[in-house]
Amino acid sequence: MPRAQRKAEATLAEVGQNVARPADAAGGKITTKPANFSREEELDAFQRMLLIRRFEERAGQMYGMGLIGGFCHLYIGQEAVVTGMLIAREDGDQVITGYRDHGHMLACGMDPKGVMAELTGRKAGYSHGKGGSMHMFSREKNFFGGHGIVGAPVPLGTGLAFANRYRKNDRVCLTFFGDGAANQGQVYESFNMAELWKLPVVYVIENNRYAMGTSITRSSAQTDLSRRGVSFNIPGEQVDGMDVRAVKAAGAKAIAWCRSGKGPYILEMLTYRYRGHSMSDPAKYRTREEVQDVREHHDPIEMARERIVQSGMAKEDELTAIDKAVRARITEAAEYAQASPEPDAAALWADVYR
Amino acid sequence: MPIDVLMPALSPTMEEGTVARWLKKEGDTVKSGDVLAEIETDKATMEVEAIDEGTLAKILIPEGTENVKVNTPIALIASEGEDATAVSAPAPTAAPPKDDGKGETASAGEAAPAKPATVEPSAPAAARQATATDPDIPADTEMATMTPWPRRCAATGKCSSWARRWPSTKVPTR
Repeated sequence: MPRAQRKAEATLAEVGQNVARPADAAGGKITTKPANFSREEELDAFQRMLLIRRFEERAGQMYGMGLIGGFCHLYIGQEAVVTGMLIAREDGDQVITGYRDHGHMLACGMDPKGVMAELTGRKAGYSHGKGGSMHMFSREKNFFGGHGIVGAPVPLGTGLAFANRYRKNDRVCLTFFGDGAANQGQVYESFNMAELWKLPVVYVIENNRYAMGTSITRSSAQTDLSRRGVSFNIPGEQVDGMDVRAVKAAGAKAIAWCRSGKGPYILEMLTYRYRGHSMSDPAKYRTREEVQDVREHHDPIEMARERIVQSGMAKEDELTAIDKAVRARITEAAEYAQASPEPDAAALWADVYR
Repeated sequence: MPIDVLMPALSPTMEEGTVARWLKKEGDTVKSGDVLAEIETDKATMEVEAIDEGTLAKILIPEGTENVKVNTPIALIASEGEDATAVSAPAPTAAPPKDDGKGETASAGEAAPAKPATVEPSAPAAARQATATDPDIPADTEMATMTPWPRRCAATGKCSSWARRWPSTKVPTR
């Protein structure tokens, strides 16, 4: 590609120009149109996203009160990505992700009580209080973690897809990772095998622009992450990750591609996280104005609320009632997570090699 | 019943912090996600966000207050339908009202602070101005912005030993 053209493409993806406003992107790379949602679908998506938002806000608060130890990475701002993908999946399709994972668990249908109790390190948590924020699993809901190593879910998810192909069980694995993980070597080894063996895996790259704290334009030679599969012949596209309908449409398309035996598919979700990378990240690598701009104009939940009210699908007070019910559920989970006992000292020796 | 905004622990080792700046005033409406205040720790300056909707009824810990213990209420938010002006305003050094049940307050349970913070109000703005007009500093000196910890070291004049170590890590000596 000529150098001038390459440069022009790089500037397109620059912070503030198109990443949070994919609809404005001059190149028109976003090809899949948002799905048409019925009233029920809009309200369902709204409630699912709100559940994640309120859970994460409460988790952040409980961390501040010293009730949650270790690391804690909040998903606030990115809710539409996992919600849209999980609406598009069929029962039995697997989900695997990195450590910004609470949203994925709730979207998979895991119980907020069990997730919160794991955050507070209690016996009733999904990993009996010994895994914490980054390590929870549910075979029942086909959620395979929850992984602390950047990029590690990619070969693991590819392996799950290999098992699907081997067993001919018609299942697809949704493998989530971030823009930072997209620069890990193991990602490309996985891409090669996935395409070589036509494995049913959707790679969902959640591009929130800042990895652990470095802007994508400073850290990546190719900032259009949907093209990271080009040399392996893996198709990819960019998706407005702040619009749950767009995510659902693209997700359904990618999952159908994989299920029909055509091999892997890459979806780059253009999204944004409002909080720091972890709880102790002051996020000085971006301006408060930038965060405020995304919150005001591109918030996935507020946009859904506006759509619902303006189209007359539901009234404002119906949505407020949904919010109240969600808050009550989260409060219940928080209380449960504080009331549940801590694991016994003897549990220290369970589930480990010795 | 007003909702307490607590001094948050922003890392697993943080025990106390400084209320560096209030970004909302008493009487301002707040919604979930609004930045209420900036908190300074020995490592960084972080923002405290609201997660409730309502009105910032009372600021309990004024700007510039240092050594505020984690979980100390720093402000009160009156939720919708509550009269913000009617919220009782305890003196910053006094314990906040805790007698009226705990209902929607997130601090329900074990989070109630053991004792109120040691409040040492100081005016950071004035302090900064004082540095700027320090007769010992030549007028054309270029001032560098320091992170909170070195600033404090510099202010006390010496840094012969570190008061804190990286938690549970032995510092290699060579």
